[in-house]
Amino acid sequence: MTLTPAYEQRLATARLLHRFNFGPTPGQYSNLLERGLEATQSTVLVQGRNDPGIDSVKRLVLGDLGYFPSGNNQAKSNEFWNRIEKDSSDLVMWWLDRMVAAHYPLTERMTWFWHGHWATSISSVTYPLTMKKQNSTLRSHALGNFEGMAREMVVDGALNVWLNNNENYVQAPNENLAREFMELMTLGVNHYTQNDVAAAALALTGYSTDQSNGRVTLNPKEHFSVPLGILGTSGVFNAESLAKLVVSRNDNVQFITDRLWFRFVSGSTTPPATLAASFANRDISSLVNALVHSTAWTDPANALVKSPVEWFVGACRALRVRPSSLDANDTQWVLSQMGQVPFNPPNVGGWTYGTAWLSGVSFQYRYQLAQAIVAKGDLAPLSVQPLNMVQACADWLGIPEWSRRTANALTLALGTPSELALAAILSPEYMVSA
Amino acid sequence: MINCEFDRRRFLQWTGASLLATMSTQLSLESLASAASHSPLPAKTPILVLVTLYGGNDGLNMVVPFEDPVYHRVRSNIALSSSQLIPITHSLAFNSSMPAISALYKRRKVAIVQGVSYPDPSLSHFSSMAIWQSASLTGLSSGWIGRWLDQQPHNAFNAIGVGSNLPPAFVGVTSVASMVDVGGIQLPSGPVASVLPSLGHSSSSDVALEASAATSITDLFSTAKRLSQHIPKSPSGSWIGQQLSLVSAMINANVPTRVWEVNLSSFDTHTGEQGDQNALLADVDAAIGAFMKSISAGDRSREVTVMIYSEFGRRVESNASDGTDHGTSAPVLIIGNGVKGGLYGEQPSLKHLDPNGNLKVAMDFRSVYGGLLHDVLATPVSDIIPSWKKALSVH
Repeated sequence: MTLTPAYEQRLATARLLHRFNFGPTPGQYSNLLERGLEATQSTVLVQGRNDPGIDSVKRLVLGDLGYFPSGNNQAKSNEFWNRIEKDSSDLVMWWLDRMVAAHYPLTERMTWFWHGHWATSISSVTYPLTMKKQNSTLRSHALGNFEGMAREMVVDGALNVWLNNNENYVQAPNENLAREFMELMTLGVNHYTQNDVAAAALALTGYSTDQSNGRVTLNPKEHFSVPLGILGTSGVFNAESLAKLVVSRNDNVQFITDRLWFRFVSGSTTPPATLAASFANRDISSLVNALVHSTAWTDPANALVKSPVEWFVGACRALRVRPSSLDANDTQWVLSQMGQVPFNPPNVGGWTYGTAWLSGVSFQYRYQLAQAIVAKGDLAPLSVQPLNMVQACADWLGIPEWSRRTANALTLALGTPSELALAAILSPEYMVSA
Repeated sequence: MINCEFDRRRFLQWTGASLLATMSTQLSLESLASAASHSPLPAKTPILVLVTLYGGNDGLNMVVPFEDPVYHRVRSNIALSSSQLIPITHSLAFNSSMPAISALYKRRKVAIVQGVSYPDPSLSHFSSMAIWQSASLTGLSSGWIGRWLDQQPHNAFNAIGVGSNLPPAFVGVTSVASMVDVGGIQLPSGPVASVLPSLGHSSSSDVALEASAATSITDLFSTAKRLSQHIPKSPSGSWIGQQLSLVSAMINANVPTRVWEVNLSSFDTHTGEQGDQNALLADVDAAIGAFMKSISAGDRSREVTVMIYSEFGRRVESNASDGTDHGTSAPVLIIGNGVKGGLYGEQPSLKHLDPNGNLKVAMDFRSVYGGLLHDVLATPVSDIIPSWKKALSVH
């Protein structure tokens, strides 16, 4: 099938908006179609240092809740766990609000990507403050230099708790952090040996995390300060020099390039050989820039399924709904039924992808969430009556073209803006970024 | 006061069963629907449904020795009065919170096995539940149904726990049962509901992922349809009622599962027992009544056997907080259209107690399991419980 230039532009514009910016706000897609692909590319790449959307989200200040209450004081214990629950819920809604409110969403989108990459779950970290601290670390490096990110993340409190570095002793090493740091976060499996893992674990001894606030301190007496051989390099290592060494490996370049391609472009195609060059200096923004300007966006093979959070945030942006205006418990419960709640990935490998998000049972929850969003939604874009309302819906949501199936279904819902909105955000075209 | 609410996660850690239990498969309703149509359970295959009451259900206020003056004397603050009883013999009555089970008993569908426990009963929730679920006094870490699973050809559908916590009984040495959530299937309703099925149609312009997304919509509607008219469209009623209605729907839809488990917590009635236990028993009773009605109307009316049990009964004498502390033996109820209803074993004396003031043991639970293994799961008890031979048949 050859694509017309007009369709190619619609396809590439839609993909760039959905994948790098959580989807268009009302009117944005048509506007960018008029301004051309280059304008779209530079728009999605804007990093909002002073983003009025983000500034409009209420600041979230979390306190250090300290140790778990000990003993049999039931009232104190209840109070503590209620507070943990409330803060956790606030933290999730706060981040969702930022994703939806951002005028320049790339930073939030990249932070979301890195959260899945350094997948850490509050289920064992427990303390929302500690998770929030990791979240700001990821945000501050989201488009910065990967070496800086890795150096800070290897001593991140939440990650250290999650991967048992608090239980990593010279006499009894725990290899969890050392292994996952190399396997899942920096190099990829088989790009190191078991000896490297064992030595890296020793390099990470002596760091202890204060779980309730994420503060990590190095106790030199507990740190293994004898020369080690890691990845062919000898020396006395600490967390920082370990991270530096690992990220300096060539394998890191292709690994991170592949990870971004996999999550932003396609789970079924591989990046062009030239793409990795843009990450040679470990500059994340340079790699993202190269991705946005690649020719991948007009290749029909590069379709992706939106994850539940991406679909939810996109729909909220299109309908101008702040997640915090929805019922927090219901929203998080439905997201959990769909399999994705921020700060709570299922394991250190992060979330699944592709058709795993598309089950019949999950559709019933998608429908519940869609109803809640539409009930609070701004339906103004659907209340005008242009000649071709079905086409106007495609432009509203950033859909290159409706299938005949969806066009027919939407025609049945014409006349009632809320029904039209519901059917449109539940359409197969909107569940995926084809 | 120490919180004695039973905590299953702690229990799993205690038994060491947690590692394999975490490998349990969470089945979706679609996969159950698909198994039901591709490999339905052969007709006439017996099915076992375990109902676990966590916390220690007070047997003496469930099946009540109401003519015994000791009952009224030592439980003056929690004894049930005659208006709270449904007599079934000259000396025993059901708690009146259990009208459905009483009616089933009168139709001889309920076996009451009296005085069930094991030698030297433990008063610890964790130890006692571990003993019941492993069917071992010496701490086998595998569950009894798990060991039965180990002997079956591998199939994720053989045994299924309902809810999100797998009972340790369902964890074997090499096999582990699956789980299914009570989510039920909620078909979209409201004005747009008629539009949604058409969004699930395939379209020639779909790329593969769009086609999958469309299929997910169609799957919701077809799963609901295939899981028969019995499926609870939106789970309602008590928690135990939701679980059992899912199980009856799955049985009637021919899902190829031989053993199911549902459970209910909060039977640890140290204070204010009457109100709490009556409410819990009423939930169990209504759920069992609805379950048996649904099963009796289906094709497997005589094949389904339900066993209701708890880790222990409670102290004969009530405490000063209008509750009871941990005890020992208690009745096990076995219910089914194929069950020979009536009384089995004997009611332990309220006078001749063990040194802790607890009931003596009239029947070993392993004999009850033995009968169910033989009659329902066609397996000799000694294959599952090492060196145990006794089997109490209620079929």
